[in-house]
Parts: sequence; structure tokens; C-alpha cells
Amino acid sequence: MKIPSYRKHARGLGFATLIVCSLLAAKSRASVAIENTDVQIGGFFSQGYLYSDNNNFPTKDVGGTWNFREAGFNVSDTIGAHLRVGAQIFEQSFGNIGEDKVILDWAIADYNFASWFGIRAGRVKYPKGLYGEALDLDVVRPFVFLPGAVYNPILRDFIASFDGAMVYGSVNALKGSFDYKIFGGNLPAIGPAKGVAEFYNNAGFYAGNVGSISTKSVEGAQLTWNTPLNGLKFVTSYSFFTSLASDGPFYAYPVVDLTSNFDRFSYTTFSAEYTVGNWVFASEWQRQGGFITYQAPPILPTVGGTSRWDGWYVSAARRLNDKFEVGAYYGSLYDDFASGPGPQGYQRDSALSVRYDFNEHILFKVEAHDIDGTYELFNTARIPNPNPKGNNLLLAVKTTLSF
Amino acid sequence: MNTRTLRRLGALALLVASVSVASAAPVIIVNKALEKEKLDAATVKAVFLGKKTAWDSGGRVILAVLKSGPVADDFLKASVDLTSSGFNNQWRRLAMTGGGTAPKSFESEEELRKFVAATPGAVGFVDSANADASVAVLTPAG
Repeated sequence: MKIPSYRKHARGLGFATLIVCSLLAAKSRASVAIENTDVQIGGFFSQGYLYSDNNNFPTKDVGGTWNFREAGFNVSDTIGAHLRVGAQIFEQSFGNIGEDKVILDWAIADYNFASWFGIRAGRVKYPKGLYGEALDLDVVRPFVFLPGAVYNPILRDFIASFDGAMVYGSVNALKGSFDYKIFGGNLPAIGPAKGVAEFYNNAGFYAGNVGSISTKSVEGAQLTWNTPLNGLKFVTSYSFFTSLASDGPFYAYPVVDLTSNFDRFSYTTFSAEYTVGNWVFASEWQRQGGFITYQAPPILPTVGGTSRWDGWYVSAARRLNDKFEVGAYYGSLYDDFASGPGPQGYQRDSALSVRYDFNEHILFKVEAHDIDGTYELFNTARIPNPNPKGNNLLLAVKTTLSF
Repeated sequence: MNTRTLRRLGALALLVASVSVASAAPVIIVNKALEKEKLDAATVKAVFLGKKTAWDSGGRVILAVLKSGPVADDFLKASVDLTSSGFNNQWRRLAMTGGGTAPKSFESEEELRKFVAATPGAVGFVDSANADASVAVLTPAG
């Protein structure tokens, strides 16, 4: 059987991972960090395999794909008592998205005046919900995919970080504590190669693909209440983009451009997490959307409408012992303005995961999803679904090396 | 003293020994330059969760933790209400997202104690039996 060249490449990377993993396993207790200096080095590398039986979801994976990997490498240093600087590069291949291009994930200077007040500036991780800042951290959870109802993996490079500044702190009160984050800035450059472009391409307004996507600013805040009941916390997050705009040739008359614009596109997220013993229970609800206008003068006058969708999930995870952790979740995502009760208006995802820690640096995960509905199932050049089915089985296998 | 009595005494000695092992108490140790720092339970939690990064007397907080074992389990459960796995995840999350500087981790209490003794600003925990005069023991108020 002839193997396409990209698959050979991917499999080569997979085998390389296994070799590196084996070598590290042989000396699993060896420290990779630089000792006796303030410089810290860390990173991770994941290689996975995705198999989907009916639909290309969440990426192009019907029949299976090895194009499912990510890597990050970070360096940080502490200067004096209050200043910390650091940066991380990141690359991802997720079906036809990412394509192993290295990007700057975060790069910060952080001055912590006191526990109740600090300033972080540069390219900063985007606070949203329980896990928004830790989207790529495979090592901190049993799941391969965070619940898609709140954390759509296609949007990873859209909401992972922002360029700007954030003030943060923690205040003890009411026998617990409150952690706050207030931030502002703008998203890093959003090109049509980013996963978020599929939302525009899927809408079918453009001839071919969307040409550009931009925002004027992003602003937001997050408040966490660590309650007096140990392990229980509630988080509320609100953020919005101003002037989230797109541009490209109008499908009906490609010589003119169609532009779209959300004056304000917002995320509102309410979250709760309870950690008790070896159990972690979590639930989140999120509303996202705004009022969008389209125009393609002189062919199409300005038209507009509200675009909004809600998602929620409940999850439970339990560490069984040093080696095994299991988890499960159920999530639901639905279009608030669906045209009918059919599967195109919702996505219901039941997931079951098993994680095995080979040692402190290497882990393996297996995860199965039973997905009902076709909402946010794209039909684009990169994620084709010309004949979507209402039900889909998704299997994910992943190994991660971290240090 | 007959054989039966000797057996009973032996069993009692084993019981006492096992109870004393089970009740070994982790204590917070700091570099001696920090022996006048005042800590309460909330401050200990803030220090070990990376929210408090500088001492009131000046200087950076440098965390030293044991990689695993019952002393680590007991201390983390009592002070930050996390399992060792949960604590590691908390710090991985901070260190890999630009949110903090990860603790120095040690295989043995002796290595940890030597590091704390030699490092200004260092704080860690060991079993009370392993805290010697090279470090200061801080007892949280309240």
C-alpha cells in the first residue's frame, strides 16, 4: 500500500517519539531541569492518532490520521524578588490545521508587588473558564480533548493568548480567598490559516476562503472564589473582542468583497470545580456570540442578526493510583437560533478517558467519544463533510512526553 | 517474665512503633535568615500555591518540595488540601503558562534540608525528626 508522504513524516515523528520516550523511561528519575540556577526549562511533546467513523470531526480524521501532535518549549527566569520573565514556543498539527508551524505561545514579564497585586505584560495566556490558560497541558488532566462544548479545539489558536497586559492578585476573605484577573490588549495576528477561519468558511459567504480576520481589542476579567470548603471553587469569566471583522470575495459576486463585523463578540463563562481526595468534579456553562453585520456594497446592503451559542458540560475524573487515572464527561453545545430541532442545531458529546503514567515524564491516553448532532461540524476545504451523519464515534490515542 | 508476657510486650512495642511512624508530623522549615517570618495557615497555602512569591522581610520565596512519599502526602493534604498529584498539576499549570516558577523538588528529606539551609529565601517541609539546627522550623499561627 502506498503511504502518502505526510503520513510517512507523521509516522516518523511518532516512532521518534517512542524512541525518545524509551530513552527517558530508562532514566525516568533523571532531572531535566537546570539545577542551581534561577533559569527553568520545561516543555512537552505529544503524538496522537485520531479515528472518526462517520464525520470529519473535530478535524479531518475519518478513517484515522496521525496528524495530531503538538509541542511546546519554555524558558523562564526570576530576577530579584518580584520580577519574572519567560516565553514558550508552540507548534501543532491538528488535521489540516496548525501544520507544525512554530508560534510564540506566551512571552511575559511579570512583576508581583504583593500576593494581592501583580502585573503581567507581553503575550499572556487568555484566562477563560477553568482551563482556558491550560488548553495544551495534556499532563494535568486525564482527557485528550477538553469538553468541546466550552473548549472547541479548532479555536485553540484563536483564544490561547493575547498581546497586552493583565493585573492579577489574590485576597483572603470570607474564610476563603478570591483570585482576580483583569486584562486588555489584542489577539495576535489572525490569518486565514487559523482554525477560527473555518467558522467563516463554513458559513458559505465567501468565494473560496475568508481572506482576513481581525479584532480591534480584547478585554476581560476573571474572578475565582476559593470557598471555605477545601477543594471547592467557583469561577466566573467574561471577555469580549471589539470589531471582530472578516473580509473576502463575496460568493455571489467575487469581484466585490464581503465584510462581516461583530461590534462586540463576548464569552461569558460560569465554572465550578470540586477536588476531593483523588476525585475532580467540574462543570462549566458558556455563552458566546454577538450581533453580526454583513455588507458587500454595492451588491449587498448592510444586513445583520444575532449569532449566539451556548455550551455546558459536567465531568468527573479520578486518579486510581500512581499509574492510572480515569475520567468521563458529558457536554452539550447548541445554537440558540437553530432553524429547527434537527441534529444541525446541537452537538452532544459523551466521552470516556483512561490515562496511564508510564513515569513522571511520559503518559499515554485513550479516549472514546460518542457524538450526537452536527452543530459546529464544518464542511470546508480543510474539514470536508459533504454528507454529514447525525452520530459519530471518535477515538483518540495520545502519548505525551513532558519535562 | 513468661513467654506470653514477652509476646504481649513485643506486640505492644510494635504497635507503639507503628503508631509513631503513622503520626510522624511534617514541619515547615526555612532558611535561618527567615526564622522571624510570621506564617499563618492562609499564608502557608498562598506560599505553596505560588500566590505569595516574596517574603515580608524581603527576598524571593524559593519553594523546595519532596517528589513523593508519605511526608509529602501528609504535608500537602494538611497545608494546601491537595494530593501530590494535584499539587504537581497545579505547578505544571503555572510553570507552563507563565504563571509561576516551579518548586525545586528533591528525592530525599536530607537533600531538601541541605538545600533550604544553604539557600536564602528557601522554604520546604520535612518530617519533624529530620529538622535539625541547620534550618529554622516555622509553626503557623492559629
